[in-house]
Amino acid sequence: MNTLDRRMIIPPVASALALAAGIASAQEINVIIEEVPDYDIVRELTEQFMADNPDITVTFDAMPFDAMRDRILTSSLAPTATYDIIIIDNPWSEEFANAGYLEPLDGYIAATEGYDYDDFVPALADISVVGGATYGVPYYNYALGLIVRQDIFDERGLETPKTIEDYQTVVADLTEGDFYGAAMQPQRGYKIMEEWKNWLYANGGELFDADGNIIINNEAAVTALEQYIETFNAAAPPNSGSWGFDEALRAVASGSAATMLSYNWMLPALNAEGGMAGDLAGNFALHEVPGGKAVLGLWSWGITANSENKDAAWEYISWISGPEVAKQRVIMGGAPVRTSVLNDPEVWEQGFGEDYYTVLAGILEDAAPLSSGNNAEELIEVVGTELSAAVSGQKTAQEALDDAAAGIERANR
Amino acid sequence: MHLKYKMIVPLVLVLSAIMLYPLAFSGWLSFQDYRLTRIDEVHPVGLENYRFVATDPAFLNAMRNTLTFVFGAVTLELILGLSLALLVQRLRIMRGFVRSILLAPMFITPIAVGLMFRFLLSSEIGVVSHYLGLLGLSVDWFGPQMALLTIILIDVWQWTPFMLLMFLAGLEALPKAPFEAARVDGAGPWLTFSRITLPMLMPVIVVALIIRALDAFKVFEYVFATTRGGPGDQTVTIMYFIYQTGFRFFRMGEAAAAAVMLIAVILVLVVALVKFSKIDRSKG
Amino acid sequence: MFDYPNLGARVAATIAIILALFLVLFPFVWVFLESIKPPELGARPDVWVFTPSWANWQEVAFESDVPLNIANSFFVAAVTVLISLLCGAPAAYAFSRFRGFSGARYGILGAEMMPPAILILPFFLLLYHLQLIDSRIGVIAAHLTFVLPVVTWFLIGFFDEVPKDLESQAMIDGFTRFQAFYLVILPAVRPGLAAAAVFGFVLSWNDLFYALLLTGSESRTLPVAIAGFWTFRGIEMGKMAVAILIAIIPVLILSHSIQKHLIRGIGGGAVKY
Repeated sequence: MNTLDRRMIIPPVASALALAAGIASAQEINVIIEEVPDYDIVRELTEQFMADNPDITVTFDAMPFDAMRDRILTSSLAPTATYDIIIIDNPWSEEFANAGYLEPLDGYIAATEGYDYDDFVPALADISVVGGATYGVPYYNYALGLIVRQDIFDERGLETPKTIEDYQTVVADLTEGDFYGAAMQPQRGYKIMEEWKNWLYANGGELFDADGNIIINNEAAVTALEQYIETFNAAAPPNSGSWGFDEALRAVASGSAATMLSYNWMLPALNAEGGMAGDLAGNFALHEVPGGKAVLGLWSWGITANSENKDAAWEYISWISGPEVAKQRVIMGGAPVRTSVLNDPEVWEQGFGEDYYTVLAGILEDAAPLSSGNNAEELIEVVGTELSAAVSGQKTAQEALDDAAAGIERANR
Repeated sequence: MHLKYKMIVPLVLVLSAIMLYPLAFSGWLSFQDYRLTRIDEVHPVGLENYRFVATDPAFLNAMRNTLTFVFGAVTLELILGLSLALLVQRLRIMRGFVRSILLAPMFITPIAVGLMFRFLLSSEIGVVSHYLGLLGLSVDWFGPQMALLTIILIDVWQWTPFMLLMFLAGLEALPKAPFEAARVDGAGPWLTFSRITLPMLMPVIVVALIIRALDAFKVFEYVFATTRGGPGDQTVTIMYFIYQTGFRFFRMGEAAAAAVMLIAVILVLVVALVKFSKIDRSKG
Repeated sequence: MFDYPNLGARVAATIAIILALFLVLFPFVWVFLESIKPPELGARPDVWVFTPSWANWQEVAFESDVPLNIANSFFVAAVTVLISLLCGAPAAYAFSRFRGFSGARYGILGAEMMPPAILILPFFLLLYHLQLIDSRIGVIAAHLTFVLPVVTWFLIGFFDEVPKDLESQAMIDGFTRFQAFYLVILPAVRPGLAAAAVFGFVLSWNDLFYALLLTGSESRTLPVAIAGFWTFRGIEMGKMAVAILIAIIPVLILSHSIQKHLIRGIGGGAVKY
């Protein structure tokens, strides 16, 4: 009854009233979160939140990506949520919003002074808008960029490749002995889809056209896949057909490959003094992906519809994603999602330098999410399987993409 | 109630609660359009899930991979296990010690086995790949030619010990007289093996085969730890398919239909195997 | 080492056995070395000599959830085995001694072989209705689906071998049938009970599939935790090696102790040696 009543009142008013009346009782908010570098920063920052808000305890349930989806599901199906706050991967936004798992945040956003929602990079914020309602606010981006060994490029006088064709030539030329031009990630499913879709964009392709027709087997897509396979055969390390993120990253970090398409925030990690790249730290640079349009990844903060602590949950989300803390988070190494933060000289200086943020702003300007719709997760898996079949030589590019198109149709049944 | 029924009451109650009821639930589920993200719209669809799954190329492929896996792994394990058992039986020193070591793999958690081999065989940091490379050999363990075979080999590493265990005990229990007679008649080792050892061991072999084959149908951990079904869909096993359909795509109805069909396939195989072994024995 | 008359056969057999031992032992040795490699050498396949570092062990022991995972795994396995013995022992005795249960024996074997794929879906849905996802109770119930049949099947074989005179004598001495079972027969199969308990414990301890889908942070078991060392921070190889060792060492020791009883158990009275 309590929860029902509270829903009647506009939530922020309720929280304001509660605060004003000093009846704020101790509340515990559970957050499901993925174990990634950005989480380490969030956890550290949250200490400060809890110090400032002694009545709210934030508890994180950190886990690997694989475990998250069914956890979120069970929490959302239960009468009361295990998790008050979930982080939402961009392919899940529509699915979860349409399933009724998520609380619309528009009322909260409007009522939170100084939150400056419009400051979020629009391409990112829009991902969580489903049917006109806002179900999430950006946490961190994982847009893809081209990471290169700038020292090698400079030494050889190589230009940064602007098109896929340039990229193909450059990485083929760089391949020599057991040094390889490109560490690629053709692992079945999510990984290859995430990487190849940049190639698809570079050729002007997409999964669906404006009318929602499947166009993944059109000429642009076939060309993109053929180019991808050619490059894999010419410039990727041998026996790397099942490589995913760790393998490719390790190849670049250990100096056996010159470039990779990866999350923009891997750059600081590679360049970190005493980090994974050892003596090579400082030699890496980030550029826009060849072709210019990048695959966009985003994690958003969302509140579960069946949470009993929605006000406190928003209290926390608006704090961690608000302008002040967002800036602090980025200075500590987090991946930016706010325009003001991207353009803040103080961030440049204390963070990773102006170049990095300028390039990143450029990437975010022209980027689109991996997949959307109610069945995005399944669709990614289906297409990613066919792409991997083509790369491993079981099907031609055309066959694989025809099968992918048929698979998308089945997935959307 | 007679004591004999009283004594099985706890077992029957517990198994009904944790197996019969879930099984019936699964059966019901397989006739529903049951998507976890549309839980308010669950409705019966008759045989639609069965029709869909039975014509789904991904399911048929997973079934084919699983059958290849079961057949390949169990055959190799049978041959290796029997050979090892014959060897260990003739060992004169350290037999207990050797046996203990050779049996070790079957007791450890399969996910650990899968992960160990993932990294031992990794083309980048794998010890095995590294030293094969020094010999000039380049094997793409998880590539399109090898991936399913690699998963079979991982299973062979872990489960040949099970066959060894069964066959060692079987060999030790064989009566001595027929072997004496064969020796007196001057039968060679091959003749002794094929005419005496093998027929007498047959009951143990059949039981070991059935237990191992049924267990091999459950393969999930190695795929989860290494290839995640790739390259393409070459290593998607039926368990992985059901895991994916049910828990990544949230299509519970179709996953249940696939599981029911899996059981049907297993039943057919078990019946065939039992029949086959009976014919074999009556001939012998 | 071998007693083959032919020298060539002796040499070949020796080589084969040494090769088999090597193939079995190598992964264990490797995972141990990996666990004590200084973290900065973690990814190097060609380094075998180094100063051991216990950093990985310390991190796992003091800065990870692995101790909690161990406790969960232990609790789940122990309770599962306890319930299995309580329900399984009387039933196994009945199956072994009374007429009319010959079909039931194979029913038990059938239950043991039931693919988890068909049980996991209803388990998942039922446990969420009961709000038992992320609870150890849910995992215990799931593990009972295979441990209980195995333990029962296992014990049938042991009861079969106890001479029937034993309880006849006991009943002549004035015991009821149940007392005879409880006070005379059970103690006589104590090694079998111990072996069944250990085997059931190992099966539960090793399960990934059910635990992966039914546990959360509070109830996560060790195999799920091992799978979780593979994250977007990269693979934490050294720590994963430690967790693997923690998962396998106790099981190896335990199972070593029951080796000689295993056969009779797995055969479950179906195989007569």
